[in-house]
Amino acid sequence: MSVVTNFITHTLHGVQYGFILFLIASGLTIILGILDVLNLAHGELYALGAYVASSVLGYVVGLVPPPTDPASQAMFVAVVLGGAVLTAAVLVPVGAAIESVLLRPIYDRNEVYQLVLTFALLLIIKDAIKFGWGPTPVRLQSVYSGINGIPAASLVGLNYPTYNLVIIAVGAIVVVGLFYFFNRTKTGRIIRATAIDREMATAIGVSTDRTFTLVFAVGAFFAGFAGAMALPPTNASLEMGANPLVLSFVVIVIGGLGSLRGAFVAALLVGILSRWATWQYPPAELAAPFAIMAIILLVKPDGLFGTWGEMDA
Amino acid sequence: MRNRLPGLVSRDGERKVRVMRGLELTLRQTALALVGLLFLFALPDIARLLPAIQLSVLHQGVVFGLAAVGLNLLVRHTQLVSFGHAAFFGTGAYTTALLAAKYNVTEFALLLIASMLLATLMAMAIGYLSLRHTGLYFSLLTLAFGQLLYALVQGQTFFGSSDGLPVRPGPNMRPDIFGLALPPDAYEVLVYYLTVAIVVVSLLVMWRLINSPFGAALDAIGQDRTRAQFIGIPVRRYVWLAFVVSAVYGGMAGALYAMVQQHVRPGPVLYFLRSGDILFMAILGGYQTLFGPLVGGIVLVLLQDMGRDLTNYFDALTGLVLLALVFGFPQGIVGSLKKGGRVRSAASSFKNNPAVVGAWVSSFAESLVTAATQSVQNVKVLVFGVK
Repeated sequence: MSVVTNFITHTLHGVQYGFILFLIASGLTIILGILDVLNLAHGELYALGAYVASSVLGYVVGLVPPPTDPASQAMFVAVVLGGAVLTAAVLVPVGAAIESVLLRPIYDRNEVYQLVLTFALLLIIKDAIKFGWGPTPVRLQSVYSGINGIPAASLVGLNYPTYNLVIIAVGAIVVVGLFYFFNRTKTGRIIRATAIDREMATAIGVSTDRTFTLVFAVGAFFAGFAGAMALPPTNASLEMGANPLVLSFVVIVIGGLGSLRGAFVAALLVGILSRWATWQYPPAELAAPFAIMAIILLVKPDGLFGTWGEMDA
Repeated sequence: MRNRLPGLVSRDGERKVRVMRGLELTLRQTALALVGLLFLFALPDIARLLPAIQLSVLHQGVVFGLAAVGLNLLVRHTQLVSFGHAAFFGTGAYTTALLAAKYNVTEFALLLIASMLLATLMAMAIGYLSLRHTGLYFSLLTLAFGQLLYALVQGQTFFGSSDGLPVRPGPNMRPDIFGLALPPDAYEVLVYYLTVAIVVVSLLVMWRLINSPFGAALDAIGQDRTRAQFIGIPVRRYVWLAFVVSAVYGGMAGALYAMVQQHVRPGPVLYFLRSGDILFMAILGGYQTLFGPLVGGIVLVLLQDMGRDLTNYFDALTGLVLLALVFGFPQGIVGSLKKGGRVRSAASSFKNNPAVVGAWVSSFAESLVTAATQSVQNVKVLVFGVK
């Protein structure tokens, strides 16, 4: 392989990694930006998504014929994506219940209680997963190999897994969708108004209670969706929640607290730069995102973009 | 000279026990403190009597409690929630382990002092970078710096990667205590009593600190930063100082942990879950009190250890305890037992009128009904969006 194709491959890996990071961090940053809650259980919601996906995808994939010709391949991709959305939908009531039953009573208390509460949820969800799916890691390679059977990248002479391209495409659609939702739809604008000024929103007749429930449910949805998309190439294990959680903290800090645009730019930045760094110097894999964060904070202490209220597409 | 000795004094018509300058306890507090001290000193015997409990576990609890006491200085007084205190705990532990494993330093006191020194330097750097922010941003930054440290240690063979480093210096395979090479049993017990001594001194220092003008300034900063700035408190410098002090406690605890466990791995000492543990110990014990974090440390470590024997799902057990803490006893163990705390006031209202139990039950039922109606509303929101 020449240097150029190598470079393109690693960059694509970085973009793919960045989109997965964005999918995880988007839920966290929406919840943080609007509810002012640092949800430590977010990583476990992501893990729960992956485990639910292992059951849901395993079932729905069995319903369609194995992908051989273009028509069945397209069908296969559609079914997998539908399964991922279905998985994420399972997480929605979980998120709504967490917000309305557990978080709501403690909004007016010191923020340490929110940390304790979400940390307690982290531990409980982790053991709930262990109870439901057992302690051994769960795999679902058939989906990965099935989609990779579609020779998409080889059209331009690259050897790159098609599944990763699917992640990039889906990530791009989610980004566009999220920005559309928050800028163009009524519900999205109401949510942003609540984030900017809670009292004023209440005064013009917005129910902040309902907004908060919706926001947490949306956050859980994206955590679950990210888990479902990340499952096929690897496996789902009990420890899988911690790393993405911390990495999405890094993404949020780089992007600027509560800024969705910042989270997007930061996720891609971290994804691509850390993949390049790992390519050039493999031991840097663990430390690269944190090093990027430290450098950016030294230059811009507030992160790349401002707060949620200043978000403009 | 007479004033410097411990003795009985009379203040505002109340008799108080004078321990040292600026530290006067009421008779009740003195009695409680003595009971606490006695308990700490008797722990090895308690552990011997109860087969389910090991001294090393209790010892760990005391050590983590010490780190929690340090963290509490930040959380209670400056209202800054650091979520990366494992960084300092780990710095202390790794300094001891490195000196012991690579440079064959055997002296207990030397290892301890070096660990405190390194933790101080680390805290000066991390504090300088993360104290530019407050609130959640500060929590996130400390967490990220803690993870950076974890990633660096985990990735370097110099630090033993994920296998960690042994703390077995010298021909005796364990640190010498003031030049004495001890057999394992004696070492275990002596290190325990040294830990108790260090904890007692640390608590006294902390007491003096929070009851000094500096402590009052920290309280003022916690209540309103801008106002504190206005009345002439050098906010940034004071907060930085408090951060460093709390980190020194963490570093000390880390060094003691390394000397007890005699092996240090990145997972148990540097990972962010450890930071969480230390924070929750403080809250479990009662973060509005001085001794609470210490109690919380012992209780949480015991709980985790016993839960591990009891069930496969011991994490969820800890989680449920933390949930119960948030909703039932937000003041923590010590805080609830204090005058005006939840347990004491519930007990006294029960004593006055036992029928209050009925009110408790009905309020519980009421909250269940509210939760049910809430969930119906939530379904409506999720289906139809926000109006």
